[in-house]
Amino acid sequence: MVRADHEPPAHRRRHGLRAWAGRQYWPALWYLLPAAIVYTLFVLRPLGQTAWISLFRWDGLTEGRWVGLGNYRALLSDTRIPAAIGHSLEFVVFYALLPVALGLFLAALMSRIRVYGLSFFRAVLFLPQILATVVVAVSWRWLYDIDGPLNAALRAVGLGSLARAWLGDYHTALPSVGLVGTWVMYGLCMVLFLAGTQKIPTELYESARIDGCGPVREFFTVTLPALRGEMSIALVLTITYALRNFDLVWNTTTGGPGTSTTVPSVFIYQGAFLTHEVGGAAAISVCLTAVVLMVTGLVMRLVRGKEG
Amino acid sequence: MNKLRWTGAAGLALTGLLVSGCGVPGAGGTTASSGVTGPRITQPVTVQEVAKPGPTTLRVLADSGEDATLKALVPMYEKKYPNVKVEVVTKGFDDLMKTVVNSMSGTDAPDLVQGNQGYGTDGPLVKAGLIRPLDDVMRAYGWENTFTDGALKQYRWTPDGAVFGSGSLYGISPATEYVGVFYNTDKLAKLGIKPPTTYAEFTDALARAEAAGQQPIMLGNSEKYPASQVIGLVQAQNVPSRDIRSWISGVPGATIADQGTEAAARTVQDWAKRGWFGNGYDGISSDDAVAKFSHGQGVFLVAGSWNAPALQQSMNGHVGFTLPARPDGTRATVGSLGLGWHISSKTQHLPAAVAFLDMLMSDRFAQTLADVGRTPVTGQGTVKADSKVVDQVNGIGLKLLADDGQNFYLDWASTTMLDTIGSRTQDLLAGRTSPRGFAEGLQNNWLAFQQQQRQDAAAAGGTP
Repeated sequence: MVRADHEPPAHRRRHGLRAWAGRQYWPALWYLLPAAIVYTLFVLRPLGQTAWISLFRWDGLTEGRWVGLGNYRALLSDTRIPAAIGHSLEFVVFYALLPVALGLFLAALMSRIRVYGLSFFRAVLFLPQILATVVVAVSWRWLYDIDGPLNAALRAVGLGSLARAWLGDYHTALPSVGLVGTWVMYGLCMVLFLAGTQKIPTELYESARIDGCGPVREFFTVTLPALRGEMSIALVLTITYALRNFDLVWNTTTGGPGTSTTVPSVFIYQGAFLTHEVGGAAAISVCLTAVVLMVTGLVMRLVRGKEG
Repeated sequence: MNKLRWTGAAGLALTGLLVSGCGVPGAGGTTASSGVTGPRITQPVTVQEVAKPGPTTLRVLADSGEDATLKALVPMYEKKYPNVKVEVVTKGFDDLMKTVVNSMSGTDAPDLVQGNQGYGTDGPLVKAGLIRPLDDVMRAYGWENTFTDGALKQYRWTPDGAVFGSGSLYGISPATEYVGVFYNTDKLAKLGIKPPTTYAEFTDALARAEAAGQQPIMLGNSEKYPASQVIGLVQAQNVPSRDIRSWISGVPGATIADQGTEAAARTVQDWAKRGWFGNGYDGISSDDAVAKFSHGQGVFLVAGSWNAPALQQSMNGHVGFTLPARPDGTRATVGSLGLGWHISSKTQHLPAAVAFLDMLMSDRFAQTLADVGRTPVTGQGTVKADSKVVDQVNGIGLKLLADDGQNFYLDWASTTMLDTIGSRTQDLLAGRTSPRGFAEGLQNNWLAFQQQQRQDAAAAGGTP
């Protein structure tokens, strides 16, 4: 045991538990304490409780019955789950990959071209991010309606045969909900990437141009590598959103038609609030949390690399 | 204390925080009830009994659909019982269903509350002992003379909340609601079709509407359940009400995978294939469908009777209502009495709460119910509504009850049935599942739920 009033050797200071006992870390810890308390109370504790509840069959009211891993076993044999996970993965394309690609494109464009009133456009493009999801859902439901503006526009240009109830059609429901997510998220990605491009030293661009790079080459050799950090943040945020997405699906399609847009969080909601199977819902939540943590960890590793 | 110990203490505190929630969930809270406790009601409560405790606040939590009813009732009540102040909170139906059980389990639960029949809401309320059996009140006020036994079954539960449809009475409502057929009177006149009264006339009218280039039925099914009510309406034509209700309340051996249900599913699937519901119905909400119907889209609208007052207004009276009769002249359809009114088992104001229910259920109040657009079961059918369509609804509603033709709602059958039936109906109408697959899907959900109920009962040491 190292006594705290001993100064640990300098070369060991950076690593290991002993460093925690080092005098100079204490002020920092005190500063962290308020955040740590809040985090513990409102994140770690509910998380622990959820994991604990997932080991019971519990209706939310009367005394729970210990079932151990029973809820998880039930989950494994639940035939609805694989399809729901499949839908979630499809949503990752719409909620994460598309917005990131779009955001990159727009950021590259905006950083090169002088647009009059750029900050106005930036604010407008960011707007979807601020709107309440329910508002977004209701507006898009109206846009997608069988008699809505989208179909009216299709009919006006002679594509009336394509008109349909976009959210009520087995083939178009999922992409339609997905595109709403794209619309919500791309503004955030764009703003992140724009901020990122502004910190890239202009010398890098100058030397790239001297070397004869065109805009495309410049983007791939200078802009993209410099945005790794922002990319990882954007991907983590959007993928998390895609995997835990509930409100958008619920308020546009209720998981339908049939089960074509059902995602795991819909089961969590149903279990916790509609069918009084809180234990089962907690089990799904725990699995979903694990998956989200794994995926974000993976993204951080792959995209951010050692820089992070 | 040295700093390392501080670290250890902080770590311990954190762990403690984490584990502090880790008792058996729900322990120490509510437990399964064992029937009525506390005072019983042996005869109608008097003004004196209500006045005895002095100034009282009676707290009421209800569906926002009751706003108009309560606005009429509360002043009458406060006038008759001047020591009581009624505090009303209403919530939209979905909100209420998601929060009512938790509101009732809190320490300051409302005295009177509306639930919903079936395993989704009333089941947990009964199981957790949060609401009080009303058998004594029913006998004191003679409610069994107002309702058929079949109708009262929807509020009956075994005290452990495990079996529904028999046992003690836990709720009551003075109103009835059911699914029927609205029609656009202008369109029928133009097509030269008489308002259908029998099922054969109804299907004939649908075919003739189609032949005349009209959309026969307006349907909005994005919430998944409205189309299942259409199936229920057709199912009622060829499956006895008793069988359907047995299935819904979980009588062992009951099945919905029968020929009658399959035939109903086939019929409605066929209607969808022929385009009788128009295009894109799965992308239209039920509210939008009602609005579209009132703007002249569709000749018929299969929907709940509760839409009558709004349609009367938006269609300027050019709307009628019918419920196709079976070949023997009797009627049956998807429907139930109103959301049950329950008394909290924790209430400190039992006489005041009972007096409130009494006034709500009184024959005198029936006309007021009709005036706010409800269909009263009370009042011995003497009430007169101020619109023709509401009168039609009320008249047929009483016939339906007399025929014992309330089939309840299929989604009461299990906690997950609402979602199952909704998804399955969408699959059926889109031709993605067969009528047989549809019926079997519902039956499988039912079986799984029944099995789970038995397991839970066995684990709780009760009788399955």
